[in-house]
Amino acid sequence: MSNSHLFLKSGFIRTPSQNGVGRYVCQLQRVVLKFCKNNGSSRGMRDFIESGLVDFAKNNPGIVVYLKPRRHRTAVISAEYLNGDKQYINCRNFAKEEIIKWLNLLKTQSGNTTGFRYRKLLHTDHPSIQGPWTPYTFKDPAENLAKFPDQDLSRPKHLPKTATEELLELFQRSSLGSPEGKRAE
Amino acid sequence: MSFCRHAALRATRLVLRQVQTPQITETRNIKRWVAPVLKQLKRRMDQVGPEAPTPRSSYLEWNYEAEIFAFGKRLREEFDRKVLKQALTHRSYVTREEDKAKEKGLEFETIECNHQLIKQGGALISQCVRNELGGKYPKDVVEALHGHLTTVDMLAHVGLHLGLKDIVQTAEFPVENETLADTFKAVVAALEVSQGQERVQLFVKDFLLSQLNGKDVYDVWAPDSPLDYLRSLLPKQEIESRLCNKSAVNTILANYQVGLYCNKKLLGLGWGESVEIAKDTAALDAIQRLSYGK
Repeated sequence: MSNSHLFLKSGFIRTPSQNGVGRYVCQLQRVVLKFCKNNGSSRGMRDFIESGLVDFAKNNPGIVVYLKPRRHRTAVISAEYLNGDKQYINCRNFAKEEIIKWLNLLKTQSGNTTGFRYRKLLHTDHPSIQGPWTPYTFKDPAENLAKFPDQDLSRPKHLPKTATEELLELFQRSSLGSPEGKRAE
Repeated sequence: MSFCRHAALRATRLVLRQVQTPQITETRNIKRWVAPVLKQLKRRMDQVGPEAPTPRSSYLEWNYEAEIFAFGKRLREEFDRKVLKQALTHRSYVTREEDKAKEKGLEFETIECNHQLIKQGGALISQCVRNELGGKYPKDVVEALHGHLTTVDMLAHVGLHLGLKDIVQTAEFPVENETLADTFKAVVAALEVSQGQERVQLFVKDFLLSQLNGKDVYDVWAPDSPLDYLRSLLPKQEIESRLCNKSAVNTILANYQVGLYCNKKLLGLGWGESVEIAKDTAALDAIQRLSYGK
């Protein structure tokens, strides 16, 4: 993230109104193509209107397409989404293919996402399946039957073994300490 | 001949030279008038204040027929166009149009409003929701979920995201939530008229019931006293509550863990800052486990 992105609005990916859980609804509801009939900068837009617009409208009957010719001004795509967002795309000197690409972007978006920084590219409402930690989560079941005060449970857990304890353990492990060794005597 | 023409041209030139032509001097400088004009315009715009929002239907690029067509296609439903138009027309719009016609002294063709469709749609939605949830949850939960789903805000939210806001025909602007909710109901009724009950069931399931996605049922519904409710679920069975764990007793962070048992089987576990609260949360947990069959 660069410095210029610090003050952008930021957030997580979200779907408007649980779109796609039941049925997918294209969120682009309306698109207005503004262009000039004789200016060279709208040439790509005019090409698109001549050869690609009918196909676009046929494939996307849920999007209302308006054409707005206006003299000597830059070609513009103005898109309106179901959530009320509006988006303008300046199409000065765009080729027909570029306009098709932009329209495809608009119809696959859920709203106007320009000027918006995603904090992450994934998001979950339930980051933990197990739930939060509680004081009883990893408790030893043996502690349920312990009677307090208990010498073992009362001493700090992180202390190393004392020399006496180690010696005792060694003795237990040796032939003298074990029950078999005693029997051998 | 050529001499004559030459002489005439010369004469006109002489005449023209004597006429005082206004001196237009073209200078290519910085245009010092631009900034003051823009400043003045800005000042006036600030004085007037921001422009009031206008309904989308008042724009030049607006075709109501196309919008209605796209509405049905967007939702992948085949609406009867006449009924859909009626469903989108509110009574306030009709009266406003009537007044307009009276003022102009024109004859007014009556437009049908969606008053009846709203009632039908409301009943249809309730029926569909209850049908869909009835098999999965106990009656109290179904009623709570039904109440949650049929609030004005929820219906308006769903209606807004179907694109109703711009195509509703009503006198008020901006459109209020209640109007949007009513329109959604009317649209459901219109769908029933055009396509029948089965499609309505699917429609409500896809658009309204999907709002429960990611939501815990027990966020929406909670009984007043969970322990009593649990007892009513398990009649004739003794429910025993045991203190399983406690920590930091007599401090501000005191917490207790209580388990509810029935015939030495754990029903539910709950936590709380006092034993009573822990019992209640344990009962909620038990209800949850019972209904989910964990």
